[in-house]
Amino acid sequence: MNIKIVDSWLREYLDTRESSSQIAKELSLSSVSVERVEKVDNDSIYDIEVTTNRPDLMSIMGIAREASAVLKNAKFNDLKTKTIPNSSTKFPIEIKNDPKLVNRICAVVLEVKIGDSPKEIKDRLENSGIRSLNNLIDVTNYVMREIGHPAHVFDFDLLKTQKMIIRESKRGESVTTLDGKRHELLGEDIVADDGTGKIIDLLGVMGTANSVIQQDTKRILFFIDNNNPVNIRNTSMSLGIRSEAAILNEKGVDPEHCLKTLLRGIELYEKIANAKVISEIFDHYPNKPRTTTIIVDSEKINRVIGVDINPQNSVEILNKLGFKAKRLGEKIEVEVPTIRADVRLDEDVIEEIARVYGYHNLPSIVPTFLPNKTLGFANNFYFEKRIKNAFKYFGFSEVYTYSLVSEDLFDGPIENAVKLKNPLSKDLTYLRNSLIPSLLDVTSDNKAIEEFKVFEIANIYLKKQNDLPKETPMLSGVLKKKHASFYEVKGVIEQALNDLGIKNLIFKKSQKSSIGASIYIDKDYLGEIEVLDTNIIDFELNFEIILKHATNSKVFKPFAKFPPIIEDISVICDAQTQEVVNTIKNQDEKIVDVTLKDTYKESRTFHIVYQDFEKNLTKEEVAKIREKIVSVLKKTFNATIKE
Amino acid sequence: MEEELIGIKNAALSFILEAEDLRSLEETKLQFLGKRGKLTLAIKEVTKLAIDKRPAFGILANEVKQTIEEALEEKGKSLSNARKTNLLEKIDVTNPGIKPALGHLHLVTQAIEEITEIFEKIGFIKVKYPEVEWDWYAFEALNFPPNHPARDDWETFFIDEKPHPKYGPMVLTPHTSSGQIREMTTNKPPIKMLNIAKCYRRQSDVSHVPMFHQFEGLAVDTNLSIANLKGVLDYFVKSYFGKDRVSRIRPYHFEFTEPSFEVDVSCGVCKGKGCKLCKEGWLEMGGAGMGMVHPNVLKNCGIDSNKYSGFAFGWGVERVLMMKDGIKLDDVRTIYSDRMEFLEQF
Repeated sequence: MNIKIVDSWLREYLDTRESSSQIAKELSLSSVSVERVEKVDNDSIYDIEVTTNRPDLMSIMGIAREASAVLKNAKFNDLKTKTIPNSSTKFPIEIKNDPKLVNRICAVVLEVKIGDSPKEIKDRLENSGIRSLNNLIDVTNYVMREIGHPAHVFDFDLLKTQKMIIRESKRGESVTTLDGKRHELLGEDIVADDGTGKIIDLLGVMGTANSVIQQDTKRILFFIDNNNPVNIRNTSMSLGIRSEAAILNEKGVDPEHCLKTLLRGIELYEKIANAKVISEIFDHYPNKPRTTTIIVDSEKINRVIGVDINPQNSVEILNKLGFKAKRLGEKIEVEVPTIRADVRLDEDVIEEIARVYGYHNLPSIVPTFLPNKTLGFANNFYFEKRIKNAFKYFGFSEVYTYSLVSEDLFDGPIENAVKLKNPLSKDLTYLRNSLIPSLLDVTSDNKAIEEFKVFEIANIYLKKQNDLPKETPMLSGVLKKKHASFYEVKGVIEQALNDLGIKNLIFKKSQKSSIGASIYIDKDYLGEIEVLDTNIIDFELNFEIILKHATNSKVFKPFAKFPPIIEDISVICDAQTQEVVNTIKNQDEKIVDVTLKDTYKESRTFHIVYQDFEKNLTKEEVAKIREKIVSVLKKTFNATIKE
Repeated sequence: MEEELIGIKNAALSFILEAEDLRSLEETKLQFLGKRGKLTLAIKEVTKLAIDKRPAFGILANEVKQTIEEALEEKGKSLSNARKTNLLEKIDVTNPGIKPALGHLHLVTQAIEEITEIFEKIGFIKVKYPEVEWDWYAFEALNFPPNHPARDDWETFFIDEKPHPKYGPMVLTPHTSSGQIREMTTNKPPIKMLNIAKCYRRQSDVSHVPMFHQFEGLAVDTNLSIANLKGVLDYFVKSYFGKDRVSRIRPYHFEFTEPSFEVDVSCGVCKGKGCKLCKEGWLEMGGAGMGMVHPNVLKNCGIDSNKYSGFAFGWGVERVLMMKDGIKLDDVRTIYSDRMEFLEQF
C-alpha cells in the first residue's frame, strides 16, 4: 500500500532538524520504504510504501512515531484531543450491531455549515493525493490521513427512520454508492439497513448515494466504524471498489483509535464548518483488543541479529517505537500497544530492535557449514544441462512455452485435464499433457521462417485420483524444413541420448501417428517421433525415462589384438532394417558389428565387421559365417543376396 | 652399353626437369623405371655382356637408377609444394566459413545455470519439488493467515479438484517457498537448499507474467543470524551482477520470515552515485524477499525453533536477469516471446 505524507503536516507531530531527504533515507533503511520525495511550493511530499502488516503507518501520526525512533535527536509529539464535549441530548439514532461484523462504532450528530475548506486543509489533502470536495467530507479524509482510521459522514436528515441495523448483505441486494455506481451485492458485505430493508451504507468501503452529504446539508452524523477486515476485503475486491478506507479497513485498523478520530474530527468541524455538537457521543465497543506482553532474552536477540547489542539500547529503541519496555536482568519485558497487533513473538521484537539498530551496521558472513544432503556429480540436473547443450549444438533453439493451455491445445478428451478453478483467460485454463501443441504454436508463430529447430524440457501434468497430479518432465521438439527427414530427427535423438550413455534405443513403427516411430529404451516406452507433413516433424520423449537410463559410468574395452575383417553384403528383401541387422548379428559371436551402409533402389548394403579377440581370423572362417548368413537371410526373409 | 646408360640418365633427368605437374612426373617414372621402362630394359641387357664386364656395368646401372630416383623424389616434393601454394592462393579468407549447427539456450535457462553455479559453490544443494501443491505447503505451513490476500482467488490459481482433508485446496505454486516446507519435512538440518522452479500468479503486465521462475534458498542450522543472510546476499550480488556492486537490506514484511527484508543493489550505471535509472544510487530488486525463517514455519516442519534458526530468500529469475547490466529488456513478457528473432539473439 502506498501513502503520500506531507512534510509540514508530519512535522506538526515530529520534532526534528533533519532535511526531508535525510528523513526519507533513514525511514527507508530502518522502517518503511520512501519511494520518492516530491517538492511542491514550500513543502515536500513523501511517497511511502507501507507493508501490509503495518496499517498503523498509513498515517501522519504513525510515520511521525517511526521517524522519531529512527532519526537521531528527534521527538514524537502525540496528538492531544480535547475532552469529550458534554451534551445532554440523547444520541438520536438506534444502532443495532452484529459484533461479528463491527468491532466498534463512535458517532455523534453535529449541526454544520457546508462550504469550502480553508486553503491549508485543501492543500494538505490535495498534496496527499486526496481530492478536496467540501469541508464536511474533507474532515473525514483529513482525520483518516492524520490518525489512520477511516471516517464517514451521513446527512443526518436523510436518515429518516433514525434506525441503523448492521448486518451482512444478502446475495442479489443492490446499492448505489456515492460515486453514482450501482452494484449488485454477492452477500457477506457489511451493510447498514434503515430498518425497512433499504441499505444506507456499505460500511468500511464506501457510502451510499441515498445517505451522503448534499449541497444543502445542515446536520451530519459523523461516524467512525471499525470493521471485520475479512468482509471488507471481500466486498472491496468483488465490487472493485479500492477506496482508501477499504484498503485500510481490510488490513485491520486499531479500534482504540476510533474515539480519538471522532474527537479530532469534532474539533476540525468546529473550526472549519461552524459545527455545534447536538448529541451525546455514541461509543459502542464490543470487541476490545487486549495488550500483550513479551519477554525476550538478550542472548537470543544477539544470536538472531549476529552482534551483541546492549540491552539498555534495546529498551530505548522499543520505547521510542511506542512499546513499553523495561529490563529484567538479562531479559527485556515488552508491553505491546494495541496499534502494533503485528508484534506477537520474540522474533517480532527482535526485528524492531535490529532495524532501528541498523542493518547496515551488521557484518556480512557467508555461512560455511555443509548440508546434510549430498548430490553426486552426475545427477538429474547434470543430465538435463548436458542434453540441453547437445540440442543446442545440434542447432536447436530452446523455447519456454506456458504450462497453461486452452482447450484447443489440450491433447485428448478435456475431462482428463487438470483444470484451473479461476483462470486468467481462456487461453490459460488447463495444465497441459503434451508440449507438442505449444511447440506447433511456436511453429505457426514463426510462419515466415522456412527452416528452424526448437525444443523444450518442461513438465506435463496428469490427473490422479485424490492426489496431486503426476508431473512428468518431457523433452520435445519440432523440426521445420523443406523435405524434413525423419532420419535427421531420429539421428539427433540417438546422438543426444548416446551422449547420456543410452545406447539401446529401439524404434518401432508408431501405433499412434500415421507416419512416425515409437521409441523404447529396452522395455521402457520413451516417446514418439511424428512426421506431420513433408516440412514438419515433431518428437516428444519422457525425460523421466531418459533420466532413469542416463549414466556417466565408464567401462574400458581392451584394444583388439588382431585386425577385424570387414565385408559388405547387399540384400533385397521386405524385412525392416533392424530385423535384418539382428538376424545377421545372431549368426555368430564373431560378428561384432552390423550397420546399414547404403540403400540403392530396393537393395540395402550391410557393413559387417568380423573379429576374433583370441586370434587372427582366416578368410575361410569368415566365408563359412557368411554362408550361414546368406542361407538364413534367404530362408527367413526370402531374400536375394548380391555379394 | 655404358653410353646407353648415361644417355638414359640424361634423358630421364631432362624429362624430370621439364615435368610441370605430378602426373607427368609419374609418367616419366613409368617411362624409365616401370616394368617396361627404358632403364629396366637396359639393365636386362647385362646378360649380353662378358662376365668380367658385368660388375662395372652393375655399379653404373645402380648409380643411374639412384640418381633418377633421387631426382624424381626431389622434383616430386617441389611440385607438391607448388601445388599447395597454388591452392592456398585460391582461398579467399574472407569468404564465409562452413559452420557447424549452433542453436540457442533460452535466456531463462542461461540465468538458471548461472544462479545454480553461484550457489552450489557455497554448498547449496539443488532440489526439485511439485509445481502443483496443496495449500498446506504453499501457504498454511508458511504461516500465511487464513485470510491472507495471496490465498484468495484474485492472486493465486486454484485447481478445480476436491481439497485434501488435511492439506486443503490444490494450487499452482505462487512461489518457490513451498519447497522450504517440502525440504524441511523430508530432510533434517543442517540444510542448504536451492530450489529453482516455475511459479504461477494471476497477473499479466509489463512486470508480471502468469508463469515465471523463482530461485529459493534456505539455510537451517544452529546459530544462523541476520549477518549470515547478509553474507549470502552480498556474495550472490557480487557474483551475479559484478564485483563492484554492493547490496543492502531494508525492513519489509513476509509471513514466513521474521524479520523480513527487501533488497537493493547498487546501480551499475552510476556506480551508486545516483542517476536517472536508479533511486539515489540503488536499484530495488523487486519481488525479492528474504528473511530469517519464521519460528512457526520451523515448528510446522517439526524443527525445534529453540535449537535451530534459518534464513531464506526467494527471488525472480526474470527480475535478476532484467537487472543485469546492458541487457535492455524492459518488458518481462518479451522473455516469453516465442519468435525466433528473439530466441536467436542469445
